[in-house]
Amino acid sequence: MKHSKMTLSAETMNLGFVKKVEQLSGSSVRRCFQCGKCSAGCPMRSFMEHPPNRIVRLLQLGQYERVLAGRSIWYCASCETCTTRCPNKVDLAAIMDALRKLSWDAQGPSKESLVQLANRLFIDNIRTYGRQYEMRLAAVFNLKSGKLLKDFMLGPSLFTKGKLKVFHKKNRNIGEIERIFSRIEELRRKGEAT
Amino acid sequence: MTPAKNILNYSYYPGCSLHASAKEYDESTRGLFKALKIGLHEVPDWLCCGATPAHNVDELLSLSLCAKNLELSNKVDGDLAVACAACFSRLKVTQHRLAENEEKRHQVAYALDAPLALDKPVKHLLEILAADFGLDRLAAAVQKPLSGLRVACYYGCLLTRPPDVPELDDCEDPSIMERVIGATGAETVSWSHRMECCGANFTLSRPGVVLKLSGEILASAKRGGADCIMVACPLCHGNLDIRQKEIEEASGRHYGMPVFYMTQLLALAAGVSTSKLGFGSMMVSPEPLLKAKNLL
Repeated sequence: MKHSKMTLSAETMNLGFVKKVEQLSGSSVRRCFQCGKCSAGCPMRSFMEHPPNRIVRLLQLGQYERVLAGRSIWYCASCETCTTRCPNKVDLAAIMDALRKLSWDAQGPSKESLVQLANRLFIDNIRTYGRQYEMRLAAVFNLKSGKLLKDFMLGPSLFTKGKLKVFHKKNRNIGEIERIFSRIEELRRKGEAT
Repeated sequence: MTPAKNILNYSYYPGCSLHASAKEYDESTRGLFKALKIGLHEVPDWLCCGATPAHNVDELLSLSLCAKNLELSNKVDGDLAVACAACFSRLKVTQHRLAENEEKRHQVAYALDAPLALDKPVKHLLEILAADFGLDRLAAAVQKPLSGLRVACYYGCLLTRPPDVPELDDCEDPSIMERVIGATGAETVSWSHRMECCGANFTLSRPGVVLKLSGEILASAKRGGADCIMVACPLCHGNLDIRQKEIEEASGRHYGMPVFYMTQLLALAAGVSTSKLGFGSMMVSPEPLLKAKNLL
């Protein structure tokens, strides 16, 4: 797919998607003139099939399916180097957030499931406990990803060093926290938030 | 300056890691502030800021969680002191994004079911020490100068980025960490990777990313002639310290590079008892280095 031929026409270009990304991110996609500075400074470049500047170019050409199908957007570390260095003030980190949200909401075709699983469990932990329960996060991730022995060797030494907090209390205000989650869901059901 | 002005008092948002895997950061922060006679009072019932996973897929949730924390912080007097670079970034980003976007403000107020209270100044510990407390007073509080210790100050991503938000220092060429630790007499090294990403939360989902990126950071610090690395973020610490042995095994290089939280070194210099600095929690023991430098 990376090097496959691209035919541009009204049928193959989805420019409505670009508008959605611009609206969600609050950043212009069209302003990018492909200097490539974002990709030059991106620490995650070597893990991505599309470097950041190509992602913007693909968006400009309405090729959003190529962008979402790959793992590139999930391999962005949100370090904000691209946003910091863009000469045209394209907020690429915010564009990446918008792309992930659109892909996440559509339960899209991305190949990168592990990063999404980690995100899901992290957010679930907030809703259940209020604060991160690190040990549970790691344990449930291993269970659900099938990587049961991941970091198995680290466990005992982390425990000895006092870095594994085994027991974890829920926040006293967990009811208020649940309310935040459910009111956001309510806003979305009513179409008053994306 | 009148004596009353010398009394500094802060509300405190430790963040989730400081109650678990980064408890030495919390412990040494409290120890340092006590030694410097700066008040620090934890915000009751604070919750997770959402960190990277929340804003990655759900900006409204991220803004709402941080707005709730800002609201809770008003229960305690004083500007909000934040230790973790990621929490600091998320809280500041929330203030900025909501100040400039009315629609998002309405949505977050609806989610919280309360009028927004976002005005409390959010300050990273570095800012409190360098600006509010002052480098001269910090230098005067030193009981055990760290002279001879060569420190690589590691900023990571979020202390200074995105450029319009943290207002901590120059976004490409900061010096606040060097200035703060320099006040203890420590020597700071010049090195290439002080603002490169450590691999962040890929430590859970894709640890291979961390082995590569953090490996490059350790190699750079070593090239720069550092004895140790100083950080201000629990995730950076986890990646550079907890995963250092794995990095050594994967790369075939030996580093043995202790990774300190900034407050561990500052509290050591301020004469806080070493039993309160959490050195025993570090995976790469700092003991041989500190003994060699006559600091233990």
